[in-house]
Parts: sequence; C-alpha cells; structure tokens
Amino acid sequence: MQLLAQQLANGIALGSVYALFAIGFALILARMGILNVAHGTFATWGAISSYWLVTEQGANFWMAAAVGIVCAGLLGVLADTFAFAPLRRREAGTFAPIIASIGVWIILLNVAESVLGPTTQSYPVDAVPATPLEIGGLLVLPAHLFSIVALLVVVTGVHLLLNRSRFGAAVRAVSVDPRSASIVGVDARRTLIVVAFLAAAIAGLAGVLAALSDNNVSFGLGEALLLKGFAAVVVGGYGDIRGAAAVGVAIGVLEVLSSQYISSGFRDAITFGVLLLVLVVRPQGLFGERQLVRA
Amino acid sequence: MSTTAWITTLQFAGVNALFALSIYASLWTGALSLAPIFFGAAGAFTFGYLAAAFGLSPVVGLLLGTVVGALMGAVTAGFVIRLDSHYLAMATIAMVLIGRVLVLNLTDYTGGAAGQLVPGDLGTWLWLIGTLLVAGYVLSRLAKSRFGLAADAVREDAAVAQTLGISPRQIQLIGFVLSGALGGAAGVMQASFLQYIGPDTFYTHLAFVTLAAVVLGGAFHWAGPVVGAIAFTILPELLRDVTGGYERVVTGVVLILIIIYMPRGLVDMRRFRLLRARLRDDGDTTVRSTEGDDRVAATEGAR
Repeated sequence: MQLLAQQLANGIALGSVYALFAIGFALILARMGILNVAHGTFATWGAISSYWLVTEQGANFWMAAAVGIVCAGLLGVLADTFAFAPLRRREAGTFAPIIASIGVWIILLNVAESVLGPTTQSYPVDAVPATPLEIGGLLVLPAHLFSIVALLVVVTGVHLLLNRSRFGAAVRAVSVDPRSASIVGVDARRTLIVVAFLAAAIAGLAGVLAALSDNNVSFGLGEALLLKGFAAVVVGGYGDIRGAAAVGVAIGVLEVLSSQYISSGFRDAITFGVLLLVLVVRPQGLFGERQLVRA
Repeated sequence: MSTTAWITTLQFAGVNALFALSIYASLWTGALSLAPIFFGAAGAFTFGYLAAAFGLSPVVGLLLGTVVGALMGAVTAGFVIRLDSHYLAMATIAMVLIGRVLVLNLTDYTGGAAGQLVPGDLGTWLWLIGTLLVAGYVLSRLAKSRFGLAADAVREDAAVAQTLGISPRQIQLIGFVLSGALGGAAGVMQASFLQYIGPDTFYTHLAFVTLAAVVLGGAFHWAGPVVGAIAFTILPELLRDVTGGYERVVTGVVLILIIIYMPRGLVDMRRFRLLRARLRDDGDTTVRSTEGDDRVAATEGAR
C-alpha cells in the first residue's frame, strides 16, 4: 500500500511535467492551427539556458529557471515571427506550418547539440533543491512538488485567461479568423505573439522541471516530452487545455505504475497504443468537441 | 570531400529518395502520412529476421519487403483514411512511435535495443539505381493514367472529386498501398546499406527529415521528392567546410525559406510551364506574374 501510494505520487509528479508541456503544445495547435514539431526544443532550450546560468554564471537556481522560461518564450516568438507569420500572411494552409516547424526543429535541435555536446549534463548538486521532503509518510522530491504546484497554477491561470478575460476572447476570435478579428479591433499580430510566447514559456517551464526531476540536461530532453505531450494532446483533445492536462497526468501515472507492476519495456507501448486507439475511434479526443467544417 | 565520402553520401541520398517517394505516393492523394517510416521498419526487420534465421537471399528480401510494406499500407489505409488531415498526420506519427516500441519489445525477432545485423548485398549502386528507376517508371506511368488524374483531383478538393464520380477513399487506398510498397522497399535497401538496423533507425528523425525533403523538392511531381532528397542529403555535406559544424542549421533555414517563398518546391511543373509561356510571348501582359501564382499554389497546397 505504501509502495502504491509512493508510486502514485511519483506518477502524478511525472505526469504533471507531461501535462505542462501538453498545455503549451495544445495552445499552439488549437489557437494557431500549427502541429508544432519544434515545441520540444523550446523545453530543451529552457533547460539548457537555466543550466548554463547555474553552472557557468553561478546564478541562483530560481533566477536561472525564470530566465530559462523567458528564453524559451522568446524562442517561441522568434519562431512565430520568422517561420509561421509569413506563412499566415500567405494563407499557406495546414501542411506548410508543419514543414516550417520541422525547419525550426532542425535548427534548434542542432544548435542545442553543438552547445551542450552529445553527452548528458547535470546541475551541480548543491546548487539545486534536491533533499526529499516527507509529506504524509511519502518521500517527495522538491522537483516533484514544484511540478505539481506549477501544473495547478498554469492550468488555472491559462484556463481563466482564455475563457474569462478580454484577452481570451481576442485569442478565440483570432484563432477562428484573424482578418475578421482585426475588423472588430483586435490586434491579431500582438495576440498571436502573446500566445506564442506563453506556449513556448510553458514548454520551457516543463523543460526546467523535467531536467530538475532527473537532474539530467541533454539536447534530446525535449524530444521525449514532445512524444508524451503529443499523446496527451491527442487523447485529451486540444480544444480545452484541461483535457490535455488531465490526460498528461494520467500518462505519467500509467507509466510509473506499469513499469512497477507490469514491465518497464511496455511503458511506452501502453501510452502509444492508447494514443492510436483514440485517434482511430475518437479522433477529436476524449474531451474534444467535433468541429464541423466544409468538406 | 573525398570520392568515397561522395559515394556514401549519394547512396544515402538514393535511399532517402525512395522514402521520399513513399511519402509522396500518399501525399499525391491528399493524405499527409509519415507511415512510410513504419512500413520501412516492417520491411527491414522482416528481411533482417528472415535473413538471419533462414538465410533468405537479399533479392527475395527486397521483394518480400515490398509486399509486406504494401500489405501494411492497405491495413493502415483501412484505419486512417477516414480521418481529417491533421488527425491523419498525427495517427501516422503515432505509428512511427509505436514502431520503435515494437522493435524494442519483440526482442526475439528484432534484436531489441541491441538491434540486428543485416546482409549488405543490396547496398550497391546497381540495386539502388535499379529500384529508383523502377519506382520512377511506375510513378510516371501512373501520373499519366486515370488514377493519376483522379489522385490530383482528390488532392485538390475531395468533395469536388466525389461529385465527378471519383471515390476519394479508393484513390487514397491505392495511394497507401503504393506508399507501403515503396516504403517497404526503401526500408530493406536502407537496412542492407547500413548493414545494421536498430530501434532508432526508423524513427521520428528519419520521418521529419524525409518529409522536409519531399517539400523541398516539390510534392506535385514524382521527380520532386527525388530531387529534394538528393539536395537535402548533399547540402549539409557541401556546407560542412564553410559553416564549421552548423551545416544542419543552414538546411533548417533553407527549408523555412523554401516553404515560405517556393511552397511548391524546387520541381514545379507549373512554374516551368509559366516560364516557358512567358519566354514564348515575351512582353505579353496576359501571363500572370509568378508571385501571384505562388499565392494560388499556396492556397491549393492547403487542401
């Protein structure tokens, strides 16, 4: 029982990181219509820049984390400005942004590899909070606690922002049709830049937390997150970020429990099996609404 | 670059061209699918297992890989062609992800994480050029057939195609079978060329890079993916001395520029026709400007 509770806590913490990543991924997919392959590299860059500040500049971890998140957000804005916005102006359709995002992915992944080198790095042990806390008889790593808290804050914040604020109304208007939104006085470009920043910054946060949880920074860090985040978004449906977040947590729990009780080899098989099943049976996701479009 | 390095690079380019053609085959019928990488894995690991266990000859392996790929293509089509474009792309990405998990877990057949050695007989110019010629011949004949016309129509607008008596699902099924056969063959060639296959041989990296090559070359004529794959493989090698380790970054930038300014890719028959028309009646103002045409092309690419 103790073991189950402990693994459940670990699973929720791991899933919180997936869920955070999935929120940013879903934001870009739902609000900008981009299946962004490069989203994982934003997470990698969040982790890399915080790692660089901690090890090379001797910065405080919290400061470094904050800067890393902002860096990731700025990369998101850059990617949108130079790769996606020109396509939007040319009304290039749904396939072109996927290709552009592959271009961004190639650039950011390769620069990350040459900056960090092919091996994995870790934060200096004394620079980051690493002593496990005891909560209700369970050992919880600080990183795990931060992940769960960050997820709750981000889900609530983003949900309220999108559904209860004027800005959220603007985002929804722009995601339906930027031109009509402009006619009623919404600054479409500015709205999209804010969404791009927000989505990439959340990815950066997920990246920093993933790096802190395993104390492991590598150039491929974001790729693993991308696959799990992708699964969470597809299974949860991307119209409502709460669906994607809930499935993200569920994937984490499923992974930890299945490697504890079944076999670690089938960890990913279960996740991706569910993913394919949902895509075939209910493509709009468990919590998604079917959208009607002209054939 | 030394001659041996050039030969290796060009052989890589040739195998990538086969994968690119496989992606093109389903894209031709309007389905953006990354399943060819999965088909390639299926072909390669079938070949690898049978060669190791029963001493299967590589030639039979190539044929078998093609057949296995085609069957996989038909099965995949049965599941995914009713999905909308984004979902179809995502489902096929999921297939690539699941492929790796299968390779890792079916240790008895695939060698698991350690991978497996494969006979290298097919990794020669003769086989590579032969396979590419056959693929090119089949695709160019198909392009002029009723299927080719129907595929173009389905890609431009499936609803309109349906009113013209074309069954989009049937056309896409054929596209997937073709894609599967090409993908299976490409997988066997790749395996024989590398002489080793592992869980990461046929994974997202190959999928994304091949898709990029298709778009770079042009997805509206079968020659496009071949040109794109060759350009995309050779470009980093050419740039290596100039850019000091950042050659892949340059290919990423080139890719973004191409999709923005030449959305129909390097091989664009319509641009060639327009250019020829403009050269013929020089100064004729009725010929539309290429810039305007690009915008039309971009909106068409959307469907």
